[in-house]
Amino acid sequence: MQTATKHNLFLLAPLIGALAVLAWWLAFDPSRHFEVNVPGMDNRPDSTAALEEVAIGEHFQRFSTAFTSMPESWPRFRGAGFDNICKSDIRLLDKFSPSGPKVLWTKELGEGHAGAAIYEGAVYVLDYDEEARADMLRCFELKTGKELWRRWHNINLKRNHGLSRTIPAVNEKYILAIGPAGHVMCLSRPTGDLLWGLDISRAYDSEIPFWYTGQCPLLDGEEAILATGGKALLVGVDCASGEVLWETPNEKGWKMSHSSIMPFEFKGMKMYVYSAVGGVAGIAAEGPDKGKVLWATAQWNHSVVAPSPVCLPDGRIFLSAGYGAGSMFLQLKEKDGAFEVEVLAEYKPKDGLSSEQQTPIYYDGYLYGILPKDAGTLRNELVCVHPDNIRQVVWSSGKPNRFGLGPYMIADNKLYILDDHAVLTIVNPSQTRYEQLDQVQLFDGFDAWAPFALADGYLILRDSRKMICIDLRA
Amino acid sequence: MGKDKIYNRRDFLESGMRLSLALAVGAVGGMAIGKATTEDWVWQIDPFACTQCGRCADECVLSPSAVKCVHAFDLCGYCDLCGGYLIPGANEISTGAENQLCPTSAIQRKYIEDPYFEYIINEELCIGCAKCVKGCASFGNGSLHLQIKHSLCKNCNECSIARLCPSDAIKRVPASSPYLVKGGFVEPAGS
Repeated sequence: MQTATKHNLFLLAPLIGALAVLAWWLAFDPSRHFEVNVPGMDNRPDSTAALEEVAIGEHFQRFSTAFTSMPESWPRFRGAGFDNICKSDIRLLDKFSPSGPKVLWTKELGEGHAGAAIYEGAVYVLDYDEEARADMLRCFELKTGKELWRRWHNINLKRNHGLSRTIPAVNEKYILAIGPAGHVMCLSRPTGDLLWGLDISRAYDSEIPFWYTGQCPLLDGEEAILATGGKALLVGVDCASGEVLWETPNEKGWKMSHSSIMPFEFKGMKMYVYSAVGGVAGIAAEGPDKGKVLWATAQWNHSVVAPSPVCLPDGRIFLSAGYGAGSMFLQLKEKDGAFEVEVLAEYKPKDGLSSEQQTPIYYDGYLYGILPKDAGTLRNELVCVHPDNIRQVVWSSGKPNRFGLGPYMIADNKLYILDDHAVLTIVNPSQTRYEQLDQVQLFDGFDAWAPFALADGYLILRDSRKMICIDLRA
Repeated sequence: MGKDKIYNRRDFLESGMRLSLALAVGAVGGMAIGKATTEDWVWQIDPFACTQCGRCADECVLSPSAVKCVHAFDLCGYCDLCGGYLIPGANEISTGAENQLCPTSAIQRKYIEDPYFEYIINEELCIGCAKCVKGCASFGNGSLHLQIKHSLCKNCNECSIARLCPSDAIKRVPASSPYLVKGGFVEPAGS
């Protein structure tokens, strides 16, 4: 009996030991020190602070009424033709003197990337006065830089990679501007009088994009065309009265991007092409269906979209965005009055023409653009591509000739490029090779990203703090 | 009244001892000065030459690597949409692991005030893979960059990462200034 008990104990002991090991193994969690990464660990508040009440455009100050009127204009973002090509006959420099081009005037501005519009000798710039804490539309004389007037409203904004970053739209009767937080001002151009204001965020429950509004507003005759996001995708507002004439339903909840609305006519139909956060769409710009969606696709959907659509005459539309998004090339088609788009190509930045901030230029059958920093070996280089093979780089500027996020434009059959540090380069827009004509450091610039404005041979450019006007005439 | 001093053997020995002591003190002092002024060298990464190839994570003799990400806060934009923190095309801008670029979640993101977020590197988790550095360089201000941490580095005579660095970004620097941190370090002309 005792022997049997001993045998049982000998059998039981390993069993108990095995059970203990099993229990330990089951209870042991090797990942017990791991921290699960879930949304909300950054203390982000549930909702943003209440929107500030802003009395849009309430203040005005006139300094002078006398200024020299001039014949040419650059009335909006990308110029009169929305193509960033200056059509003037004025001959421009293709080589700088040893001292560089003549600087006509210089203005210190609040930190930002807002470019200028020019209308018959007057320059319009949306500034943010950091001392007065005010969105300020300022008007200068093109020839001298003398400030003629300013209109502003107070609003508390914090620096966020700059403050103001939009270009006003100007025509014979009106000036239209959007502030960093989506406050729209429509003024009488001859007098600077405020006609109406619109707080896009409040009116449409829309979300202002990262780093503030980048959309440059569109004036189409008597209408202000604005991409609001939120409760509407696009809206048309009567410039004289401020009455909302039409609203494009935003059923899919697309958001406002930094991209600007581009007018386009295809197969006899005028439309507004807009690259939103959520998708791209063509909106009827005329007729009884004005404001209705003609075509739309959500295949182009990126969280940050800054370049505007480049619409080619044959209906192909080039879209690009930064932050790794790359580009998409669409073909717009029409059949019996109905429109649809087909995706011709979609690729990452290193695989073809792409842009993070500026909008490429379609010139004489070719597309020109500066690749983003994540474009591999061709990063920050100027490239030329043919639309028939948008991934095939015809030529690039080469490793020693890298640019950045700065602007570029075509004028007098020359390509003018500004890099981040205010180095101005002149390039022959060749279809076969990179041909640099000259280069000059204009000043020690930082983040010189605002689009150019050029009229009567005077080029206006800026970095984050300073705007200058140079005489580019040959 | 003058009296000629007569040196005896005792005086001679005392003078000799003093002289020997002075020589010994001088020699030790000289050696100490020499030691203090002799420059030692350590390995460091030039952040302006680094191309974020990722080799630093794999090629260091230590595991995890002695190369870590550091953050130049004075260069950071404190953005909500941070190219160094979030994968491109992230589902949402949040701290969810699926949205983070860092494979080890070594970057801690904290809301400061609208619209600013702060990004802090957890050195213990960082493996020096440079994914965040590449994202920050491509879409941000380049405030995230790699440095060799000398509290970890073995200072091998033949640094295994330096041998393989495709951009020759790892070089010997004086031990007296062992870091090339952005912000306090000026980009060399022509680099």
